[in-house]
Amino acid sequence: MKIEGTNTLPASVETVWKAINDPEALRSCTPGLKELKAVGPDSYQATLQIGIAAVKGTYAGTLAITEKQAPTHYKITLEGTGGAGFMKGEGIVDLEPQGSGTLLKWTGDIQVGGLIAGVGQRMLGGVGKMLIGQFFKCLEDRLGGNA
Amino acid sequence: MKPAPFEYHRPRTVEEGTALLAKYGDEAKVLAGGQSLVPLMNMRLARPANLIDINRIESLAYIRDDGRALRIGALTRQRAAERAPLVAERCPLLRDALRLVGHAPIRNRGTIGGSIAHADPAAELTAILVALDGEVTARGPKGTRVIAARDLFVSYLRTSLDPRELLTEVRIPALPAGAGWSWMEIARRHGDFALAGVGVVLAVRGRTIAEARIGLTGVGPTPVRAAEAERLLVGRSPSEDLWNAAAAAVRAAVTPDGDIHASAEYRTHVAGVLTQRALREAWERAREAA
Repeated sequence: MKIEGTNTLPASVETVWKAINDPEALRSCTPGLKELKAVGPDSYQATLQIGIAAVKGTYAGTLAITEKQAPTHYKITLEGTGGAGFMKGEGIVDLEPQGSGTLLKWTGDIQVGGLIAGVGQRMLGGVGKMLIGQFFKCLEDRLGGNA
Repeated sequence: MKPAPFEYHRPRTVEEGTALLAKYGDEAKVLAGGQSLVPLMNMRLARPANLIDINRIESLAYIRDDGRALRIGALTRQRAAERAPLVAERCPLLRDALRLVGHAPIRNRGTIGGSIAHADPAAELTAILVALDGEVTARGPKGTRVIAARDLFVSYLRTSLDPRELLTEVRIPALPAGAGWSWMEIARRHGDFALAGVGVVLAVRGRTIAEARIGLTGVGPTPVRAAEAERLLVGRSPSEDLWNAAAAAVRAAVTPDGDIHASAEYRTHVAGVLTQRALREAWERAREAA
């Protein structure tokens, strides 16, 4: 399932680039993140609790940043498995200057399997978009605070 | 297919029910008809520590007419509302939509309040509540409050109800006298969740539309009120051009997601087509009534 979107952030490309590579920013902005442990450069072990209303699942997995072209482009890969199923996500992030701020464009491909996909298929795309939206909103708030 | 362990509670009065909810809050789920919650629990996607079964609170099953709206107790079975003469007389839009909620055995258990509180993005009842400016009543630790439909639905499966509140009543305004109505939806199979659905009400004066209501389901995280399309219709005489313009306004107002059942583009397109069909049918009914 492919999803995409754009966000305008009130900071320079360099500042945004730093934020989206900062483990502290990833830790505080990734929705449902319980634990993030660096296991190498740009590579993390993560525990996520994701869900809507009463439907919640805990996923253990990895998060990695690759294809880095500082300061404008990277790929983020997230994989996790849990009792409710598995999920695998890939996102490409591109930064472009826009006025005094930065236009952040993202495209993602999410695969979800197991029980959760059978039951939640209708809502997965929308919920995925919502969670990614929350992530960037949080980033925006952090950057806004610095500007 | 067995649920994770939980504590079972069976209150007999609203007071007992709200006391339990006040105690357990988001550690508890309310069991009404169980047609959504029980499958989720059996697959262990939902694991509430406490289950509060309200099925013995008989005072929550009723349908009354207060002269302005139908007051429906939260525990009223969908099937009971579908077959109630009062609903057919005062809000036939609700009756027609209820016929498409799952299948008869589901509606025999499923409740009006449960469907609203569950807030499935493709549920029929949520769209009707929004289209008609309905309300719900909730009882919690801070007393009773009335929540307007537009303030109730937050996102997928999420409402502004507090976890410690019990939804006790759903108020669905009666249709204006002589108004035409139509419920239209498209699903892959009969009884499936709708890919898109629309409820329309037209009140007519002579050859002119005096009031229009349009509510949609399945086309976003929450039910959608097509206010712009309604504005277009009021004060105008019906024509295919007018129905087309309303359909275009509906398409502009919806933000559906794509999934394996249907793409976002298809859902947007169908929302417009269904709106046109529903407007035609509602207009015909209003003319017959005149």
